[in-house]
Amino acid sequence: MIFDPPILPSVLTLLLVIPLVGIVPLLAFVRDARAAKQIAIVTTFVELVVSLIMLAQFRVGEAGFQMVESVPWLPSLGIRYEVGVDGISVLLVVLTTLLTFISVLYSSGGAIKQRVGEFMIAFLLLEVGMVGVFVALDLFLFYVMFELMLIPMYLIIGIWGGTRRVYATLKFVLFTLAGSLLMLVAIVAVYLNSGPAGSRTLSFPDLIAGPTRFAPEFQVWAFLAFALAFAIKLPMVPFHTWLPDAHVEAPTAGSIVLAGILLKAGGYGLLRFALPLFPIGAQVWLPIIIVLSVVAILYGAAVSTVQKDLKKLIAYSSVAHMGFVTLGLFVLNTQGGVGAVLQMLNHGVVTGALFLFVGIEYEKTHRRQIADLGGFANHWPLYTAFFGIFVLASLGLPGLNGFVGEFLVLLGTFRYGGQPISGLLWGPLAAIGVILAAIYLLWMFQRVMYGPVREAYKALPDLTPIEVACAAPLLALTILLGVFPQPVIAIIQPSVERMLALAGATVTVAVH
Amino acid sequence: MTIHDLLAVLPEAIVTLVAIVVLVIDAGVGERRARPWLPWVTIVGLAIALASQSWAPAGGTFFGGFVVVDDFSRFFRLLFIVLAAFTVLVAPPYLRREEVSAGEFYATVLFSTIGAMTIALATDLITLFVGIELMSIPVYVLAGLQRRDRYANEASLKYFLLGAFSTAILLYGFAWLFGISGSTDLAKIAAAVRTAGLGSPAVVVALALVTTGLGFKAAVVPFHQWTPDAYEGAPTPSTAFMSVAPKAAAFAAILRVMATALGPIQLDWALVFAILAVITMTTGNIVALVQTNVKRMLAYSSIAHTGYILAAVAATAAGASAGAAVLFYVFAYGIMNLGAFACLELLDLEGTRGATLDELNGLWSRHAAGATAFTIFLVNLTGIPPTVGFLAKFLVFQPVIDAGFTWLAVAIALNAAAAAFYYLRVVVHMFMYDAEAAAPKVEPARVLSWSLGIASIATIVLGILPDPIYSFAVRAAGPILTK
Repeated sequence: MIFDPPILPSVLTLLLVIPLVGIVPLLAFVRDARAAKQIAIVTTFVELVVSLIMLAQFRVGEAGFQMVESVPWLPSLGIRYEVGVDGISVLLVVLTTLLTFISVLYSSGGAIKQRVGEFMIAFLLLEVGMVGVFVALDLFLFYVMFELMLIPMYLIIGIWGGTRRVYATLKFVLFTLAGSLLMLVAIVAVYLNSGPAGSRTLSFPDLIAGPTRFAPEFQVWAFLAFALAFAIKLPMVPFHTWLPDAHVEAPTAGSIVLAGILLKAGGYGLLRFALPLFPIGAQVWLPIIIVLSVVAILYGAAVSTVQKDLKKLIAYSSVAHMGFVTLGLFVLNTQGGVGAVLQMLNHGVVTGALFLFVGIEYEKTHRRQIADLGGFANHWPLYTAFFGIFVLASLGLPGLNGFVGEFLVLLGTFRYGGQPISGLLWGPLAAIGVILAAIYLLWMFQRVMYGPVREAYKALPDLTPIEVACAAPLLALTILLGVFPQPVIAIIQPSVERMLALAGATVTVAVH
Repeated sequence: MTIHDLLAVLPEAIVTLVAIVVLVIDAGVGERRARPWLPWVTIVGLAIALASQSWAPAGGTFFGGFVVVDDFSRFFRLLFIVLAAFTVLVAPPYLRREEVSAGEFYATVLFSTIGAMTIALATDLITLFVGIELMSIPVYVLAGLQRRDRYANEASLKYFLLGAFSTAILLYGFAWLFGISGSTDLAKIAAAVRTAGLGSPAVVVALALVTTGLGFKAAVVPFHQWTPDAYEGAPTPSTAFMSVAPKAAAFAAILRVMATALGPIQLDWALVFAILAVITMTTGNIVALVQTNVKRMLAYSSIAHTGYILAAVAATAAGASAGAAVLFYVFAYGIMNLGAFACLELLDLEGTRGATLDELNGLWSRHAAGATAFTIFLVNLTGIPPTVGFLAKFLVFQPVIDAGFTWLAVAIALNAAAAAFYYLRVVVHMFMYDAEAAAPKVEPARVLSWSLGIASIATIVLGILPDPIYSFAVRAAGPILTK
């Protein structure tokens, strides 16, 4: 903790309010593209700075929630406006504000040409939802934020997306909504089971406070409803089919936050709510989730290999990477859990960056089919260097951030001794996924970067300063988190152990 | 009858007076000169009626037990006055365009409102029946107000014939209730029903007839067949009103009759209502999925919403939270559904048929505020936070699960997900497709746009800060449902 005492009170509420404040002048300047860009950049930058102050105020090493604010919201129902962060969410919040700032900055560079003001309004609304999901401690507030992300993203894909945008965006919304509405039923059931009428609550700290837990039978179904919503969001195989469509059609900025943040809401929800609230239910469904995770890792990698569209390839690689997240969470040990959270952060940085670079390339060439590309290495040295490092990070090269998370997840998996078959089978299978990732990513890199370049591409410029400015922080994080992950692990580990302890896991063995 | 009795129904008396004043001005000053300020006369009158409650007695029974003033009736007074005012605010452009008599329209809406308010006042079958008729007959007129339009005639006739038929069934049911108890007082009927129990065939017959009769009014499947044609054929401002006020009134009647008079056998009819709820919402949503006319789609969607409300009625075993859920849902539905229909009044289309999906193409670029308001209403109807429509669904889930109908809650969730498809498809056409050359003209109506804008923002504000309305609904449900 750098700032002691904290210099910003109510910092989390501030984070939720700043984007809303930014919308007000945007509404006035909605027809003025230049002003809209400036307002949005300033707003998201202020948001980023405030989130960094929040990180600086965070007391490292504590497992519980910090900077908690809790006021009654619907007093007659006992529902509270309750926000707070712990080691798991604090970094996800910073990731959110960083990726949003980069997305807005990149979009201002000319990627969004029509209705810029409206685009920025949708993006700021989306930011409220994304930050809200990670800071909400009351399940009702969490659900509101979870759904608040839906409509802005629906519009971002549907209005500013590619040719099949309508199909893609409807599919995205309907999949997500089907899952989350069932979760809403489960949330209401949790509420009714939280105590006698008059003392009911949806506050997460209250729900996990006492030694009493929900009845086993109830847990089985409630966990299923929660897990289904998060599995669709994450997405887990076989609920992943919306993802490639949404990613291919979304504008670059939409793809960045979709992969970087929205998918994380699923993994975060599993770790924060589904596991600690319903440990017995989790035990029942755990074997299926582990099998599906390994399937996602192998299937995602295999399907990525044969993709012809660059964006689709990265989208399917996300399915594989998210498989590592669920695998790490559900082997229920510290290494797995910490690895899963790291994997979420790293995937946000690296895949966000990859989508950014595909977007940059597409802006220049208007091609995304791998067969149409090639030979950029000689013409775009800067682009190639950046892109190359992100590709290597994505395939898990030691020394870059992708390696740390996957390695810890694999370590946790090998130590998993539970049902149906011990980690000695799942570990090697998941490791095959890492090898496959190297194959499809390097093969893609080879086809796109080497070989003869098309005549038409020779005149195209390398990265512009604004594009470098977007990519530089991501590159820095990629290297920093790869070489020196310990400070981040120190933030994450106590909170992960607390959640896993609630989920009934063994957390005696530390990472260091 | 004393002064005290008359003061108790002061708001109803004032609304009656306003209706008569509107008719007199319309006849005396002449249609053309009166048209611009008749809506404002109506709005001011409605505001006075709402305010006059503070001079009326706080509560109690009046007219020898025929009328009761409690939080329940006050809640519905507020709702019906808000709905009537909203209807009147958004109607003028359409009425002018289609040359519908404005004075007649406003007066008819007001008369129907009086009937709806009377239903909420009833603790006696006679008052209840008078209220139902007073509400229904003006609505038949509203449906056919566009005299020269064939579809409006069809709508009016269908609505009238089936409405009259259902009223007869309802009245027959009331007669059986009277036969069982020898009284028209709801509390005395409850006592007689408790003694007789479901073993008595008379109770079963009465239950079936009353459920059918009230089911017609609320558009419960399988008593819904009149709804799509009546809603589609009626002039759009009439549709907006008749899709919300009569439905809200029907649920007021259902709560009064089912929960009070038939309360003792609640466990027996609850399951029937739960099954009807699932059939109703599923039918409404599935048929709405394939509609290409937005007005007709909204008609089927309103059937689906009947199903959601009915689910909360079925959960009355959960106590006051069920009643509060019904009231809150009816309130939220009133604003969001009226708003959605009113958005169609923005488009200058010939006849009553409303817009097709293709005619909405690119509405965003032609009327950004209207398209945004329409989207907000549709998001409300879908039930996505932070809107009042979401909160209404959340509040329905609670008693439904509490009463042990978890399967019903799951059915609502799946239905809501399916419904998202057709609601959001409208958004697709407005925002994601470009306008065609033959796109209908957009009405440059300032009051209409402002009303839609304010109402759509209100649904979000109420979605974030629902406590005033929700606590009112809890208090209002108290006299009806106590565990």
